[in-house]
Amino acid sequence: MAESGTVISDGMAEVLRRLHLDGPGDPTPAWARALGAEGVALTLLVGAERTPEPLWCHPDLSARFEELQFTLGEGPGPEVIHNGLPVLEPDLDRVRLERWPALLPAAANMGVHGVCCFPLGLGAIRVGVLTVLCDGERRMGAQQYADAGALAAALTSAFLGGDLRRDGDGSALDIPEPPSGLHRPAVHQATGMISVQLGVSMQEALLRLRAHAYGSERPLGEVAQDVVARRLRFRDEPTGDCTGDSTGDFTDDFTDDFDDDGSGPHSPDGGKG
Amino acid sequence: MIGMARERRLAEIFVEVADSLVDDFDVIDLLQRLSTRCVELLDVAAAGILLADANGELQIIAASDEHTRLLELFALQHDQGPCVECYRTGNARTNIDLTRPETTVAWPRFAARARTTGYVATHAIPLRLRSRVVGALNLFQTRAHRLGDDDIALARALADVATIAILQQRTLEQSHVENSQLETALSSRILIEQVKGVLAERWDSSVDDAFAAFRAYARARHLRLSEFAAQIISGGFDTADIPPPAPDRSADRPG
Repeated sequence: MAESGTVISDGMAEVLRRLHLDGPGDPTPAWARALGAEGVALTLLVGAERTPEPLWCHPDLSARFEELQFTLGEGPGPEVIHNGLPVLEPDLDRVRLERWPALLPAAANMGVHGVCCFPLGLGAIRVGVLTVLCDGERRMGAQQYADAGALAAALTSAFLGGDLRRDGDGSALDIPEPPSGLHRPAVHQATGMISVQLGVSMQEALLRLRAHAYGSERPLGEVAQDVVARRLRFRDEPTGDCTGDSTGDFTDDFTDDFDDDGSGPHSPDGGKG
Repeated sequence: MIGMARERRLAEIFVEVADSLVDDFDVIDLLQRLSTRCVELLDVAAAGILLADANGELQIIAASDEHTRLLELFALQHDQGPCVECYRTGNARTNIDLTRPETTVAWPRFAARARTTGYVATHAIPLRLRSRVVGALNLFQTRAHRLGDDDIALARALADVATIAILQQRTLEQSHVENSQLETALSSRILIEQVKGVLAERWDSSVDDAFAAFRAYARARHLRLSEFAAQIISGGFDTADIPPPAPDRSADRPG
C-alpha cells in the first residue's frame, strides 16, 4: 500500500481554500485550530532592510514570542530567515543552551514548550517565516508538519510580491492569488538574469518578471523563456537609480502598483491600526 | 542476469554513494551523479529525479544533464505525466511508448513535448520510503528498445539509493523528520536555477553553459552547490574567480 506523501488535513484544506476568500481580519486563530497548535504567527520581511515585522499572531503568547526572538535576534525565526530552511524544535528542553542562550530561558518563562518555524521563500528569495508554537505534548506529527508546510507554501506564493491586480477591493489584508508557473526552472533562471540586468534583488526581479507577464497577458513561464533565450531584456531608464522604483521598459504601465514595494507587500495597518 | 561489466559498474556506484553518505554531503550533486549513472547503466538518453513538494506537486531535483529543454519536460510533470501517475499510485510505469497516442491520452501536453524533444519512450519508477512515495525516477529513451525485468530491477535499486541519499542528509542543527530533508533539497534546486541565471547574464552565456562552469568550479573545490549558489547571489563571492564558459556564439539552441 502506498500513500502519496502525507495529505493535508480537511481542516487545513479549508484554511487554504479560504485564504483568498476571506476579507480583512486575522486568520491565525483558524490556522492554530487547523494545526492543533498552541499558537501561530506570521512574520514578513519588510522594507529595503528586510526587517522582520510580525503581521498576524495568535494568541498573545505568539505575539510575545515573536517579539522576543526578533528583539534578541536569536531563535528559530531568525535562523529560518538566515538559512531559508525549516527549524523544528518541538521540545525546547532538548535544545542545547549555547544555541539560543538568551532566548531559551525567556521562552521557558513564558511557557513556550516547543517551536517549529517554516520559511516563506523561494531559493534566495526570503519573504518571511511561519512560526508554530507546539502544545504540551512537545511534538510535531506528520500531519501537522504536512499542514504547516502546505500553509507556508501557500503564503509564500501569496506574499511573493504583492498583488499585481489593479482592481482589488483595496483591503489591506486581501491575500493575493498566487502566481502560477513557479514550478518552471525557466522562471527562476529568468529571475536570476533580470536581477543582474536591473541590479535588483531576486525578489524584485521576480516581481518585475511577473508584472511583465501580467501586463502582456502572457503566462509567466512563457515570458521567462523569452528572457532565458534573450528575446526579452529588462532595462532601467538611464535616470533610474536601480533601487526598485525606476521604470522598466516593459513595465511602465504597472510601476505604480509596486512603487512602494519597499514598504513591504502589505501594510498591517488595515487589521491592527 | 546482469552482465559482468555492468554488475561491476553497479557495485562501484554503490560504493561511490556509500562514500558520499558518510560526510555532510551535497544531495543535489549526488543525485545528479546518480542520474548520470542511470543513463550509463540502463543505456537510456536522459534521467531525472523528481520530488513531491509541500503541495504534493512533483519538482525536478536533479537530472543527467541540465539542458533547459529537458528540465522543462520534467517541470511539465508537476500536474501531468507518467511520474505523477507513478507518484499517486506508487507503482512503476515502464516502457511507455510515447509515439502511440492511445498510451499517452492521459497526458497529451507531456507526450507532445517529449516527442518534440526527441524521446520515443519513457519510464517512471517510484522513490519509496517504507509505505510512502516521496517522488519518482524518470527515464527517457531516444530510440525504442524495451527495458527488461533486469533493467527495471536495476532502475529500482538506483531509485532506492536516491531515496536513501535524500533522507540521509542531515543539516547541522536539525535531526527532525525526513520531510525537512525533502524541502531542503527542493529549495536548493530553486537556488541553483537562480544562480544559473545570474551567471549566464554576467557571462553572456547560455544558462546551460553557465551551470557547467559553476558546477565544475564547485566540484573542484568541494563546495556544496546550494551553499555556493547562495554565496554568489548574496554577493559574498566574486564570480570573476570562476573561469567562464568558452564563448559559443554559434549555438543558440541547447544541446
